[in-house]
Order: sequence, then C-alpha cells, then structure tokens
Amino acid sequence: MPSDSGAILPPKVSAGSDFGRNRARADSRRVALDLTKFFLVVAAVAGLLAVGTERLGYHWQWYRMPRYLVRIGDGGWRPGPLLDGVLITFKISGLSLILCFSFGLVAALFRLSHSYLARLLARLYVELIRNTPLLVQIFFIYFVLGPVLGITRFTSAVLALSLFEGAYAAEIFRAGILSIPRGQWEAARSLGLSTYKCYRAVILPQAVRHVLPPLTSQAISLVKDSALVSTIAIYDLTMQGQAIIAETFLTFEVWFTVAAIYLIITVILSILVNVMENRLRVTG
Amino acid sequence: MRKPAKFTRLDAILLLLTALGALALGYRIKVGLHYQWNWSAIPQYLFHLDPATGRWAPNLLMQGLFTTIRLSAWATVLATVIGTLAAFFRISSSLFKRMLGRTFVELIRNTPPLVLIFIFYFFVSDQIMPILAIDQLVKTASPGTRQVLTWLLAPPEQLPAFLSATVTVAMFEAAYITEIVRAGIQSIDRGQFEAAAALGFSRTQQMWYVILPQALQRILPPLAGQFISTIKDSAIVSVISIQELTFQGMELMAATHLIFECWITITALYLILTLTLSLAVSRLEQLLRRGLT
Repeated sequence: MPSDSGAILPPKVSAGSDFGRNRARADSRRVALDLTKFFLVVAAVAGLLAVGTERLGYHWQWYRMPRYLVRIGDGGWRPGPLLDGVLITFKISGLSLILCFSFGLVAALFRLSHSYLARLLARLYVELIRNTPLLVQIFFIYFVLGPVLGITRFTSAVLALSLFEGAYAAEIFRAGILSIPRGQWEAARSLGLSTYKCYRAVILPQAVRHVLPPLTSQAISLVKDSALVSTIAIYDLTMQGQAIIAETFLTFEVWFTVAAIYLIITVILSILVNVMENRLRVTG
Repeated sequence: MRKPAKFTRLDAILLLLTALGALALGYRIKVGLHYQWNWSAIPQYLFHLDPATGRWAPNLLMQGLFTTIRLSAWATVLATVIGTLAAFFRISSSLFKRMLGRTFVELIRNTPPLVLIFIFYFFVSDQIMPILAIDQLVKTASPGTRQVLTWLLAPPEQLPAFLSATVTVAMFEAAYITEIVRAGIQSIDRGQFEAAAALGFSRTQQMWYVILPQALQRILPPLAGQFISTIKDSAIVSVISIQELTFQGMELMAATHLIFECWITITALYLILTLTLSLAVSRLEQLLRRGLT
C-alpha cells in the first residue's frame, strides 16, 4: 500500500513485547475512533437529507412502504408489487445469463477460429454492441426487430440484454481460452484429438477456472442493466417502483427501497465472486 | 500466436446462413409488414435550411448529438474532479477516509444507473436547483452570456434540466473514475514515494511533484475510455426528458413513424461517435507510450 509509504516505516516489533502490545492497543483505539467517525458522518448525511427534504416540503412516509413489499391478507402473505418485480428481474436476468453465455462462447470460438467469415462476424458483433448504448439496443430490438421477427416484449428484452452482455462475455471467454498454455494445445493435438475434442476435453475445462469469476461479475452487471428494460414497460423491479410512485408520490421512499433491493442482490453476488476467486485461484 | 485466416467449411456454412437470414429478414419486412422505406425523409432531421436566417442549421438529430457530447464532456470533467478527490480518500492512511471512499464507490457501482438517475435527478432538480435559482440567473443574463451558455451548455430554457442531468451522470461516473485514478496512483512504484520522502518532500509535495505526473500518463487512456462509456451511459438520461440523441430519436419516431430508419440512424450516429473516439484514444495511447520510452 503506498498510502503509508510516505512515512518512514516503523521498526518491526514482535507482538509479545511491551512496546508491541501498546502499539496494538493504540491501533485498535484508532480503528474504533475511525469507525465511530464514519458512522457519525453517515448518520449526519442521512439526517441532513431527511430534515432538508422535509423543510422543502417533502413528507417522509416510510410507514406506507411495507405493504408494497409484502401483502398480508387472510390467507397468509403474498408478495407485494416490489417483490413481484424482483421475481421478473430474476427471471429476465437468469434467462439472459444463460443466453449470454452461449452468445459469448460462440463469438469467442468464432474469433479464435481459422475461418475468415467467422472472425469477421464475431468482430462485427462485438464492436457493434460495445460501441452503442444498451438503451438504444433495447429500443432497436423492441421497435425494429420485434415486429420483423414477431417476438414479444419479454423476448425482446431478454434478447437485447443477452446480446449486450454476450459481447462482453465473448471477450472474457477469449481471454480465458488464450490464457491456457500453448503446450496444452500441442499435447492434445499430438494425442490425435480433433479441434472440437481439444476444446471439449482439454481447453474449456481448464479455461472454466479463469472465466468463472469474471463471468459472475458479468452477472452482476446483468442484474444492474436489466433495470433498463423498464423503459419498454416490462414490470421488473424498476418499473414497479415507477408505477408505485405514479400512484402514491412516495418518490424517495420507493427509490431508496428499490436501490436497497438491488444493492442486496449485487452485494450477495459480489461476495460469491470473492469466494469463487479464492477457491478457483490457479496455483503454480 | 495469431493463426492465418483462410476459407474453411465453416465459412461456407456461415455464408449460407447469413445470406438466408438476410433474405428472410428482407422478405418479412417487405411482404410480412409491408414496410415502406423512406430514407429520403431522414437527412432533413440531421441538417435543415433555417428559413429565418437562410443558412444550414443542425436539426433535431444533430442537436441531440451535440447535447449528448456536451453533456458527456461536462459530466466527465466534473466526474474527474469528484473521482480524484474520492481516490485520495480511497488511498488515504486514515481508515475513516478509506471507508468513506469505499462506501461511495460500492454504493454507486452496485446500484443500476437508471435507479441512481431517478434518485439523484429528483433530488437535484427538485431540491437543489431551486436553491441555486439557476432560472433567475439565466433570465437576468445579458444576450451575450446567454449565447455563450447556449453554445457551451444548453439553451436557457433547458439549462436547469441539463445541469441536473450533468451532475447526475457525473456522480455515478465519478465512482468508476475513482477506481481508475486509484489504480493509476497505486501502480507507481513505491520507491518513488520513498525517494521523494528522502528528498524531504511533504506528503502533498510527493503527490503533486512526483507521483501525479507519472500516474497521469497511466490514467489518461482509461479516463478517455471512460469518456466513451459516459457517452453511451448518457443515453439513459433520455428517460428524464433530457433532449439528447436517444430522446430525439424517440420524439422523431413518434412524429414521423419512420421507426426503422430512425433507429438505424441513431445507432449509426452513436457508432460513428464512439468509434471515432476509440480511434483517438488508441492514438493517444500510442503517443503516451512513445513519450515514455
């Protein structure tokens, strides 16, 4: 860490010595102080926000929020509109994720192939997708390809998201495949395996270790980007939020809740990425 | 180890498939949808002959494109300032500052930009803009200032919305720029810090005279890349009715019903813009690399 490298480094002391113990105590006191300061600042910002907006004529009504998460009726509880939205978000993200892996893998294999046309197509696909906004792609697929192919709103959304993330997944797969040492190829070839068998039995199983963590990061992006399908009126979490606001004007409460739900989903996925990175770390 | 490309069986299959696909699409559009192409209607929305002045002026789409560029440029400048500050927080020796920086970055990077835009925009445009009274400021400004403002930012009547959107986009791009700046500073060899400290430089002087000039060379290319991302991300602000390229595309589609032409043009305009900039970025990288050796 260069953060403390400006200062002259303290002499290394063993934890057992008196000096070391005092230092450790001073350190933990400083950590406690820093933590307190941090939570004070967070509380101050939240307080300022609450008081400031109240003064400018915004009435906080958090007590009206729970019913949009869970409806409690006579027959137990049912998910409210926001949780319904979460389900749709999951459904779209899940389907897109599977499709995006296939698009990504095919594009990566095409880019690494001998074939001239395959390379060209893969290159065109990746460049076209990565150089235009996702929102424009969603509109393009919904307004242009939708009527041409006769696909529904939901299919358009899944197709747009998976094509978009697929272009990024393609680069991840390509990097993963290229990271396998050349010797593996040569060994597989000398065993008389065909290109398909090389990939299937030797290269891809090894590449999985390299590509899984970044692909999971891609899944996080996918969940976040899926918020954009609300623009073509798919009732995912974001759209449900907008609908509730249109009905109740609980602008900030709803958006903070929606943001918190997204945050929970993405943070859980991030933790998963960390665990996976540690587990799958390629040694040697 | 790039393999030479050649014509293989895969090529033949792909050629057949793409040809068939293109034919099927063409057939669907012409026979299935009876779509009447009318490309000749599009150019007038790019540039038109202004009847008042008798000169060529940018119309809807080009105005949208310029708004997109202005918005992205100002947002990137603002985001670089916020991002650099946050990066210093991220690498600070104080745990308190590090936690603040980390919270900012993680909160923003883990929420969808669309949701952030809704939150920030309502907050900035409803709560902060009235306090700043931009409206009044613009109304009382001289015609000359208004001209300059129009040219640099946005037409006076759209200025408050434009500023809110710029601040909003800048806020979330800042989180990404924080990480770029932090990585740039941390990539500098720690010996440079130690050498500077040995020469008796204070912490600020070390940063300013020794570390930042070196880090800047590494930060610039990804920063330019982030500017391109900002252009793409700025399409989202069309949902809060900022009149940038995507919004103008929606308007034009609603007004003319030239659905296909409209979206193909919009996509092409974005593509031209980002590909040109990508080319410029790779030139910049080359120049910097040459400067280093």
